[in-house]
Amino acid sequence: MSLLHSPLLLVFLLSIVIGFLMVIVFRYTSDQKAIRVAKDHLKAHLLAVRLFQDQIQVVLISYWRIVRSTGTYLRLAFMPLLYVSVPLIFLMVQIDRYLGYTPLPTGQTFLVTAKLANSEALDQAVVKLPDGVTLTAPAVHVPAVREIVWRLSADAKGTGSLEVTAAGQSVTKSLEVSDGIKRISTIRLYDRWWERIFVSAEPELPASSGVQSIEVNYPERTISFAWMEWNWIWLFFVLSLIFGFLFKTILGIEI
Amino acid sequence: MRRERETSRWLCVLLALSLVLLSPVQSHAYAGPGAGFAVLSSLWTLFVAFLYSAYAFLTWPLRHLLRLFRRRQSSGKAQIKRAVILGFDGMDPELAQRFIAEGKLPNLAKLQQQGSFHKLRTTYPPISPVAWSTFMTGVNPGKHNIYDFLARDEKSYLPFLSSAEIKGPKRSLKIGKYTIPLGKAQVKGMRRGTPFWHWLGKAGIFSSVIRVPVTFPPEKFEGVLLSGMCVPDLKGSQGTFCFCTTRKEVEKFREGGVRVPIERDGKTYRSYIPGPDDPLAESGGRELRSEFEIRPDPAKHQAEVILDTERCTLKVGEYSDWMSVKFKAGLGFSARGICKFYLKEITPEVEVYVTPVNIDPGKPDLPIAHPVTYSIYLAKLFGPYATLGLAEDTWALNEKVLDDDAFLAQCYSNHHDREQMLFDALEKTKSGLCACVFDTTDRVQHMFWRYFEEGHPAAREANGNKRPEVIPDLYRKMDDLIGKVMKQVDSDTLLLVVSDHGFKSFARCVNINAWLHQNGYLALKTGRTESGDWFEDVDWSRTRAYTMGLNGIYLNVKGREREGVVQSGTEVESLKEELRSKLDGLQDPESGKVGITNVFDCDATYAGPYVENAPDLLVGYTAGYRASWDSVMGKVTTQIFEDNLRAWSGDHCIDPREVPGVLFSNRKIADENPAIVDIAPTILKLFGVALPGNFDGKPWTVTGESLPKMGPAAFP
Repeated sequence: MSLLHSPLLLVFLLSIVIGFLMVIVFRYTSDQKAIRVAKDHLKAHLLAVRLFQDQIQVVLISYWRIVRSTGTYLRLAFMPLLYVSVPLIFLMVQIDRYLGYTPLPTGQTFLVTAKLANSEALDQAVVKLPDGVTLTAPAVHVPAVREIVWRLSADAKGTGSLEVTAAGQSVTKSLEVSDGIKRISTIRLYDRWWERIFVSAEPELPASSGVQSIEVNYPERTISFAWMEWNWIWLFFVLSLIFGFLFKTILGIEI
Repeated sequence: MRRERETSRWLCVLLALSLVLLSPVQSHAYAGPGAGFAVLSSLWTLFVAFLYSAYAFLTWPLRHLLRLFRRRQSSGKAQIKRAVILGFDGMDPELAQRFIAEGKLPNLAKLQQQGSFHKLRTTYPPISPVAWSTFMTGVNPGKHNIYDFLARDEKSYLPFLSSAEIKGPKRSLKIGKYTIPLGKAQVKGMRRGTPFWHWLGKAGIFSSVIRVPVTFPPEKFEGVLLSGMCVPDLKGSQGTFCFCTTRKEVEKFREGGVRVPIERDGKTYRSYIPGPDDPLAESGGRELRSEFEIRPDPAKHQAEVILDTERCTLKVGEYSDWMSVKFKAGLGFSARGICKFYLKEITPEVEVYVTPVNIDPGKPDLPIAHPVTYSIYLAKLFGPYATLGLAEDTWALNEKVLDDDAFLAQCYSNHHDREQMLFDALEKTKSGLCACVFDTTDRVQHMFWRYFEEGHPAAREANGNKRPEVIPDLYRKMDDLIGKVMKQVDSDTLLLVVSDHGFKSFARCVNINAWLHQNGYLALKTGRTESGDWFEDVDWSRTRAYTMGLNGIYLNVKGREREGVVQSGTEVESLKEELRSKLDGLQDPESGKVGITNVFDCDATYAGPYVENAPDLLVGYTAGYRASWDSVMGKVTTQIFEDNLRAWSGDHCIDPREVPGVLFSNRKIADENPAIVDIAPTILKLFGVALPGNFDGKPWTVTGESLPKMGPAAFP
């Protein structure tokens, strides 16, 4: 596996790049002086609790000021967050498609769940599988939630799509069988545009198909680091904080 | 157009906020390290605050009981809950009375009418470090060991700072060309005696003490303290300003500053701030420097100053905020301080004044507060502030590097910082002692007396630019401050407004060394008619007396001084008597006035274990006269009397009887002739704390309750 196919290395690189960019963006979208003052006030009130600990009234007032200063600091720190959140959220959605799940492994079973518009269509629903994917059990119907579940197994690596037919109309859903880093869409949806933006990487299902969603239960990816198994977002959180801290110190940026 | 931009900006903000809040997937809610830092550090702060508070709450009853127990053990019935002492260095009782009579000081007038006003006897000599040491210890200088700013080394005849000694670390490691210091610099306080807030602390009474002189290095006690006068700058001096200029002048400043060239490099000008000696240099004496750039913009009458990572744009005649300055010594060693820039000129020459590099209160390299975190606390609360003992740069005005306005701006900027500290201390000290000393009164009177007094020689050059209103304005500003404090004083609080000494004109200089030389008590080497500074070219084998510092005369005593010639005992006594009889009533030949009213014998003036460190005689000058600039620096000249032409035109280092301080109080003080030495025992007595046996002062009889809720008076 090349280095670029290592999820750990990718998370490291992403953490460095995003840590750097975010610190720079923070620098130019925040009121650095106000943040410095707010942080200084916070520290001063903390010190006041220690310095005047025998004066219970001072301790109480200082504690209230700590809470107030924390509010001010958070307000100041979150203003730049608002500037960066939109691009960053979309960027992370895209990264999550590569690093959030692993492709389907060969030789193991997995489930595909189709949700239909009405439960009467469940009996007519059929799935057409791509080459190398086989059905390992009969379909299970769950009329209460208008779902039909197929258990499948992939025998060969490759990118393909399965086809679900219900009420005479067919729709497809991508399927990724591999062991590397691939762009994965776990679900294809009808309507629910908001959810589609964040969790689906495929076009909307047509309204006439009678299918509301097709979901493949890809395994979640974990990354081994420091003797622990990490979800990529947690690892990214920790590493980007560390790199962000380094960059802010080197560049003299107040966060 | 602007409104549209605003609207679209808010729409973006709302959209972003919606996306963040409504995003259903956990992984998408993280928006980079900025948010991470904000959330984590806020949570951490709250957690630490909670821990501190929990600790304070849980242990408070126990600590409160302990305090009560200590109070019971060491004290009687307290007459007051809180004492607020406002010290105004050099506030003069005669001027205060005059301005009160003119209706300029309504708050002091109110204190005088409803409480008390007295002249406050000062110390011998009436010099701030001496008087404030007596104020805090309640003893005469013979017991606290401070007789002047300077003391003399008997072995070298050279001066040293009387209040503190700063030495390098005890141990060092030599590696190649480097000498690596192991540990911190050693700071040794020379003032003896125990400040009265120490005794209050022993009795469980909390104190906030701000900028009282001669509190460096800070001593441990129950309370908080920020050191005042005598705190050095980063060079270890009492304030060395830096004047950077493109002018090719070679004349050095006499005192207090250094001239540094500015080099032109295209449109950019480069210069440097001289720092402390390199701690790693083997032989010492290699000065560290911090370089900076100036980028003038003559069209806008301004320049950009770039110092390390900080930059600021200054108009001509404007000060910068405090800027951090770092002096790198190699091997990761560095010294850190703060300074302000003042843009003096950009055309045709470029000139920048840089304040002495103050110890950074937020990251102090030397201890300037007790606990150490107190200076940090104040810096975090109010921003950086001047820490140098003599923070108002009188030397720069004397040397005409700063003009009157720039000097006043500096003084009142420092004063404003001090006011903030005082009001914070008042808020934090609801019971106990709150003492704060303001230096502005002293510095401004020193430098602006020339305009206040008709015909002062130092104002001859001023022509139409005289500023006689500066001193009345100063008193008015102090009165406003007192009014604001009075608002916060309740009937359980004693308010004292005190000064260490008064003020008089300094129009004529007296060089005692010249007089000693001309009268055969001090000899120069053959062929010399004048000496250099610090007795250069003095023939000690033929010298019986000499002077340095502001008021002291020293005899060259055999066995005490390195080359002493006067036998101790009868010869010393008869020489002292002889000098006193000749100097008492010494006349100024030009005016015919008496320049010296009295010369005091220190053996009769002081008592205590440190009398041996005192001068042998003290010169009490008449108002209008003072030791000459040369005489203070141990220089022998041909002129005994001469005009004082410097901006430093008012003074108080004269006969102490001529310059008492002020004592205003919100309670009646029955004593007719109170002295500064009485303040410490009075405060202890009012708090019901037993008086230590070595006090020289006597507690006053303070009667009645404080005036309830004294609001500030309004101007008529």
